[in-house]
Amino acid sequence: MSELRQINVSKTGVSKLAIVALAIIFAAGLFVVGFDQGHIFSLVYGEQAFADLYIHELTHDMRHAAGFPCH
Amino acid sequence: MKTSLFIMIVLVSGAFAGFIHGTVNFAIVEPYLDQAIGIENQNLFASGEEEDTPEFWVEYEGYRVWQKSGQIVSGVILGMSVGSLFGIVFALSKNTLPGNNMIKKAVILSSIMWFTLYIIPFLKYPANPPTVGDGETVVLRAILYLSFIAISGLGATAFYKLSKKFQNKRKFIALISYAVFISVVFFAMPENPDKITAPMNLVHEFRIMSVLGVTSFWISVGLILGFFWNRFESHKETTPHYT
Ligand SMILES: [Zn+2]
Repeated sequence: MSELRQINVSKTGVSKLAIVALAIIFAAGLFVVGFDQGHIFSLVYGEQAFADLYIHELTHDMRHAAGFPCH
Repeated sequence: MKTSLFIMIVLVSGAFAGFIHGTVNFAIVEPYLDQAIGIENQNLFASGEEEDTPEFWVEYEGYRVWQKSGQIVSGVILGMSVGSLFGIVFALSKNTLPGNNMIKKAVILSSIMWFTLYIIPFLKYPANPPTVGDGETVVLRAILYLSFIAISGLGATAFYKLSKKFQNKRKFIALISYAVFISVVFFAMPENPDKITAPMNLVHEFRIMSVLGVTSFWISVGLILGFFWNRFESHKETTPHYT
């Protein structure tokens, strides 16, 4: 007996889980490149990180080039 | 499409496009950043905040090398981030986008997102090289810039949804409504509070290079994700399976 059946019938073809995961990656990446002023390293190294601004320096040139506000 | 495969091709195409963006910036934007930071150093010497000593330059070279190498690394991070947003919107809209294959659909969507999320906000709050921005206003400027991007993106989405309710010719009305809406927002939003003291031709040339860099990202991400989607998905979705 043969039966016609289409796999992956959901409307968009992707799961909600994937959408949520990508949304988190979007927000985290945007924050690191566009707006972080040492917050992430401060979780590990404390206040010193705000002085050193490691991530800020690493993402600094892209921040200017991609149009994010900087100095 | 399988969840893991979908996430994988979205992240890989974002990373590739971000790498291209970082590389383009490294080649064409860095010379302007160097010029602007050069002016900034001269201002620091003139005001007495820093002294023109060998020690200053050793420290300066140290962090400039770190900053420049970050251009490509952060291109990849930003690419995966914005690429994720692009992947989400593409997955949700691909069935209604015009075009007879995934590459055309993806490039059409990336052009729309380039225009609404980048070009329109750029016209209001254009990119600035170092020395232009005032550290005191950076939070305000970040809020303004992000809000305008969000308003433009959400506005475009809303009017797009509206346009689907209309028949052929009246779709045009949705487009015009978006144009009117975004123009009102454009003039209602406050200006960037900072005064530009750097030479204007340096600022202009920097902005042109900046636009070229971001444009290279949006073209690449559309082409690459569309290519992957065609490669991994199209035949599965259109072919009926017999069991
Ligand atoms: Zn800066």
